Amino acid sequence: MSVTLETLRDDVCTWLAGNAPKDWREAATHEAFVTGQRQWFGKLVAAGYAIPHWPAGWQGGGRSLAEQKVIYEELARADAPRLLLSFVSTYHAFATLQECGNDAQRARYLPAILEGETWCQGFSEPGAGSDLAAIKTRGERRGDVYVVNGQKLWSTMAQYADKCLLLVRTSSEGAKQAGLTYLLMDMKAPGVTVRPIHQIQGDEEFAEIFLDNVEVPLTERVGEEGAGWAVAQATLSSERGLTLMELGYRMRGSMGLLIDLIRKSGKAGDAGVLRELGRLSAQVDATCALADRFLHNRITGAEQVGDASIVKNSYSRTLRAWADLGVRVGGLLEQYRKPITFGDLNTGNWMADFMNSYAWTIAGGSEEVQRNIIAERMLEMPREPKSWVA
Amino acid sequence: MSMDRTELRDSARKAFGASSATGDAAGNWAKLSEMGWFMMTVPEAQGGLGLGSEAHAIIHYELGRSLVPGPVIAQMMLVEALAATGQSDLLDRAMAGGKMTASLALPTEDDVIAAVPDADVASHVLVTRQGSIRVVPLDRCTIAAQPTWDETRRLFDVRPPSASDGVVIAHGQAAEQLRTSLLLQMLLALSADSLGGAEAALAMTVDYLKTRRQFDRPLAMFQALKHRVADLKIAHSAAEALLWDRAAGRPSLALMASLKTHCTEAFRLIAEDCIQLHGGIGLTQEHPCHLFFKRAMLNCALGGDAFHWEEVAGRAVMETTG
Repeated sequence: MSVTLETLRDDVCTWLAGNAPKDWREAATHEAFVTGQRQWFGKLVAAGYAIPHWPAGWQGGGRSLAEQKVIYEELARADAPRLLLSFVSTYHAFATLQECGNDAQRARYLPAILEGETWCQGFSEPGAGSDLAAIKTRGERRGDVYVVNGQKLWSTMAQYADKCLLLVRTSSEGAKQAGLTYLLMDMKAPGVTVRPIHQIQGDEEFAEIFLDNVEVPLTERVGEEGAGWAVAQATLSSERGLTLMELGYRMRGSMGLLIDLIRKSGKAGDAGVLRELGRLSAQVDATCALADRFLHNRITGAEQVGDASIVKNSYSRTLRAWADLGVRVGGLLEQYRKPITFGDLNTGNWMADFMNSYAWTIAGGSEEVQRNIIAERMLEMPREPKSWVA
Repeated sequence: MSMDRTELRDSARKAFGASSATGDAAGNWAKLSEMGWFMMTVPEAQGGLGLGSEAHAIIHYELGRSLVPGPVIAQMMLVEALAATGQSDLLDRAMAGGKMTASLALPTEDDVIAAVPDADVASHVLVTRQGSIRVVPLDRCTIAAQPTWDETRRLFDVRPPSASDGVVIAHGQAAEQLRTSLLLQMLLALSADSLGGAEAALAMTVDYLKTRRQFDRPLAMFQALKHRVADLKIAHSAAEALLWDRAAGRPSLALMASLKTHCTEAFRLIAEDCIQLHGGIGLTQEHPCHLFFKRAMLNCALGGDAFHWEEVAGRAVMETTG
């Protein structure tokens, strides 16, 4: 590892020791958690660690992927809060505007992100999940605005967002991908209603967005009308690898929770439990090594199509196994409901963690979609015929 | 994997060729010897190539990939033992490909040494006991063949003439250290061998699914099969990442053991599905599926099985993170 990277690691490590909040798991409400997220993001921006992937010239920008990796490794090691609230803003909104937006849009929105303006993503719909191009929310052009009607779903932290990356249908002609248009919507605009989704374990990380005659100015369109699908690809490919590496490291860092549980439940001498722990620890290490290797391949330009899908499925299955062992070792006590911790996947509230782990096999391209990508794009197995008549 | 590693892998791949049912044991042995791979991890001062355990894993990965028959893992253990103890005469013979062998079972104190490959043609066997490691000429031992389902390995039970026969090459603390390092080497070799075999079995299965047609379409078009194959690919990739990670480091016995169970179980998973996805032909000896499957099953059992090592690994996790 180069001297520069080691210097950076030392700097980040020292800074985190003095600045990383320790009490973030104690937030009693989602609002309190979000307040903590805003404060933490502000501190990271000021220190130059919030947007290492932005170009040079921005605060702490212009970092190589290898440097970004070091920063995220240290964030995980220090057990600092994950950047959930600002994630869509600094990755998705940034990448979209940087690659497909115009100068006026960049000037207006990018500096505001660093001041705390937050974005959500309005892609999925009740009828458009894995089949994203089936979007039905209409954008109708009237004069110098699009009038938008429809419903968006699974929008992360939309209840706290100021702006929305919105994908709408402006035409029903031709291929379903061809009629999509990409808009930047103000969440405070008349006609926007947000309803948090009560998740299986009690968290409210996602929301529904109802759009009733919402007017979005033409100046807020990214790319041409009908080019929304291509713009959305820029959004979706903005971050691949760092998050899963960070999450893998955090899971490995949380093995102590399982060990404590095994001791507490008097099973430290149970060969069956020890075997499962031994097997799981190898699986966790393998997932971390895989995420590491993936990033290394990206850094050296050796990434292959499908690699990201392999990392995601490996992580989500391992996370499931991690929580599952806790649920089984904990037994009846884990069936007694306890308050959840916001913004963390490895909390030691085993039933909550187990249920939450499903978010990773479903969200962000379900496990099944990832398998298709691996089989069809990486292993070049032929696609099924597209047409189907009921 | 660095450039040198890639070159080593490519030359091994070229040397061993594609997996086949009629593996050329003699030909491959000659190539291993010619390329100097038996002396790979021996320090240059002792006439070796001075390469590390990553290079060692690369060669075993390719041996597994090509289903190379023969006692290579045992030979390399002998080389390691002779190099570590400065037995230069025997070491020179072993590095040049003179067959010497060792048990691939978990070390025990039993009189009979189990799972010794090619004991009928090797000159010496390594006998590891608590506190002493000896090299015993095989012509003084009683040997009994133990035919295995895996036809790419030939295993024997070996009974040395007495508990003190042969040359003691290490004793006391040094013997314990050597015993551990030999075990580490064997576990790494079995891990790499397994993932090489798994890679070949998986590639063969994907090719078969693309070729075999039923219901007027290639089997590879069915999503039910795609998803299974994708899961096998994920299992292999994760295990492989762990392999190179541990091969590049200096893992404890518990970590190397959990690598071994993880990789051998991945090989078994893939080889089992390889049979199922091939259908009827996979159940025959006319197709190489069975060779991968049998090698996978044997690799699971060699060097200590998952029952043993997963418990060891679990105990170590409890201790290190306590």
